[in-house]
Amino acid sequence: MEPLTVTTYIYLLITYSVGLVFAIGVILRIYQYATTPQPIKIMLTPAPLTKSGAFARVLGEVFFFKSLFKSNKPTWVFGYLFHISFFLLIAMHFARHFVYTNPLPSWYNYFVLAGIVCGIIMVLSLFLLLMRRVVVERVKFISLFQDYLILILLMLIGIAGLSLNFVLTPSALTVVDKQLDPYINGLLTFQFTNIPSNPLFLMHYTLVMLLILYIPFSKVMHFVGIFFSPTRNMADNPIEERYYRPNAKDLSI
Amino acid sequence: MAKPKSKYKVPVLDGKISIPKIVPGASSYEHMIEAQKEDMEALGFPAKLQDGWKDKALGVFKQILDHNKAVRDYMDICVRCGACTDKCQFFLGTSDPNNMPVQRQELMRKVYRYYFTPSGFFKSLSNSQELTEEVLKEWYTYFWQCSECRRCSLYCPYGIDTAEITMAARQIMDSIGLGQKYTTEVIHKVFVTGNNIGIPPAALRNTLDDLEEEIEEEGGKGVKIPMDVEGAEVLLVPPSADFFAMPHMESLKGYAKVFHKAGISYTVSSYASEAGNFGKFIGSYQNTKEINKRIWDEARRLKVKRVIIGECGHAWRAAYMYSNTMNGPFDFLDSKYKQPTHICEFTLGLVKDGVIKLDPTANDDKIVTFHDSCNVARGSRIGDVVGGQFTIPRELIKAAANKFVELREGTTKESTFCCGAGGGLLTEEVMNVRLAGSMPRMQTVKEAVDNHGVNFYALICAICKTQFSKVFPLYGLDAEMVGGIHQLVSNAIIM
Repeated sequence: MEPLTVTTYIYLLITYSVGLVFAIGVILRIYQYATTPQPIKIMLTPAPLTKSGAFARVLGEVFFFKSLFKSNKPTWVFGYLFHISFFLLIAMHFARHFVYTNPLPSWYNYFVLAGIVCGIIMVLSLFLLLMRRVVVERVKFISLFQDYLILILLMLIGIAGLSLNFVLTPSALTVVDKQLDPYINGLLTFQFTNIPSNPLFLMHYTLVMLLILYIPFSKVMHFVGIFFSPTRNMADNPIEERYYRPNAKDLSI
Repeated sequence: MAKPKSKYKVPVLDGKISIPKIVPGASSYEHMIEAQKEDMEALGFPAKLQDGWKDKALGVFKQILDHNKAVRDYMDICVRCGACTDKCQFFLGTSDPNNMPVQRQELMRKVYRYYFTPSGFFKSLSNSQELTEEVLKEWYTYFWQCSECRRCSLYCPYGIDTAEITMAARQIMDSIGLGQKYTTEVIHKVFVTGNNIGIPPAALRNTLDDLEEEIEEEGGKGVKIPMDVEGAEVLLVPPSADFFAMPHMESLKGYAKVFHKAGISYTVSSYASEAGNFGKFIGSYQNTKEINKRIWDEARRLKVKRVIIGECGHAWRAAYMYSNTMNGPFDFLDSKYKQPTHICEFTLGLVKDGVIKLDPTANDDKIVTFHDSCNVARGSRIGDVVGGQFTIPRELIKAAANKFVELREGTTKESTFCCGAGGGLLTEEVMNVRLAGSMPRMQTVKEAVDNHGVNFYALICAICKTQFSKVFPLYGLDAEMVGGIHQLVSNAIIM
């Protein structure tokens, strides 16, 4: 087996550190949201009368952005396209591990094509979301540095990822593909192999690391926070079932 | 003759609710009068801003973050998508960007970032800011231009509730001695006299006597409004405005006639003569609880079987949503009934059961429309089914009057606009803010008047009634149009 390069050592260090920060950060946030008591019922009515109904309401927000659909159609379309394509891309990156076999499945090209289409949709919808922040007066007014930062970071990730397919020659891409699988396996089994050394790939990988590192400290935490939103996740049954949180009572103001 | 100039800025009614161009600072000079020493102290707050206020404020902020999931969660997860920016009546009316819900929240969020997140380290980049006197001034201005109506929360993809953030900000400000005169004064009055207006028991009895006489003159023979009667079946808790203010009193007459015809004994209480709960407006759990407790203590003392709440929006939310949590279950009352019951559900039930009869032709001179009050529409439920807070008042109106039209679609039910003076804004010094906040709703009222000839504006909220009675004439509409649903019932009930 060939010896590990310095680049690989650096990236191994980065990957594990980022993974650790992400896991601890997100778990701490979940812990914080889960354990902070909600003093009183504040669901926005009309609300479901049961707990399961309330959970379904949250899922409606998570999967269909129902409230956003009610409030702003263009934002809903751009936002929905981005989230769907981004989610599919994450899923396909994981699935790739099982799809990239020897020999390749007959439909492998379609798999890659689907990824490219999702990537293009993602970058385009991000661009539209960015334009919205520049063009719409109110949205421009409320936009902060971190709002542009996350959009641009995601766009760069998408562009770098797409460029692997568009800029590299098929043989160069195959080299990356062949090296990637054992490298990822190595991360999980600690049987380390070299990271693909293609600079475009490394750029994509580095940007993704930056994103993952940033998530626990950023507004991206909305993917966790939505599940804890009391106006959405509480059932409308304050009389039928007493809601009481003794530790919330400590807030004696 | 030139039209006399109003001393207020009255928006033009052209039927349009358009999104204004942003005018930074447009309403920055609209301030509340600061609280008086004795009121603040009675509520357990320091009388005025003292040295060391900053540490105290941050301490309370931390305490809220640790004990209030909503605030904790909502500080972090806003993505500034802008969905809320055109939903607040105060932004639509004032054009001030700090009245866009997200920007109002941002006033607090920038302080949160500075002290409670690592991004406070990158001050200029992340928009984080130290809690300075300047910031406090901004807070006092803009967290007192929010009526806590929660229209923004309805449209937020995460349900972020600006009302909760406004309440938290008011909590912090109160705890360092920066209170608002109107709400603290009102709460103090409740603790002293039992009601927001400060009516002592003897005066209340006098008023009730006068009302009984009035009802008698109008043909309601023998209709009584009993007070402090032990062993009555029902404790009726109306907002205290129903005792003294117009058009509120017309609804009180309606309740009295309903009880009389149904033959159900009832009583009002001089100790719990207030359904409203201003403790909620300032986000104070303790004060909300204390005010609410008066109702349940009185229900125990008078040994009633059930509690019925009059026409009042936030009072109903406090009674329905908060009291079981704050003061425990109503297990000492008759479990046959829903506790508490909304007066509209009670009356409609009697109509449906044929116990009382309404003659809708008595209101044939009226073309009625209905305004959903925010705390009823978005903060509670009436009846047994989801959305009962929309159907029950409408059914009752239709039982009492033949001609009913809805306001513009998209501005009713849970999407209703606030009247503009809820959440403790119902005070003279911010009249311009109140007018601006009422603008979107008034556009739809004007439309209903022009297109459908609406001449009766039915409400089930004491604050809505007061606010609209005040602003209607300023817009050139007749204040007589404003009234409660039980005013219609009062006209229609067959005695």
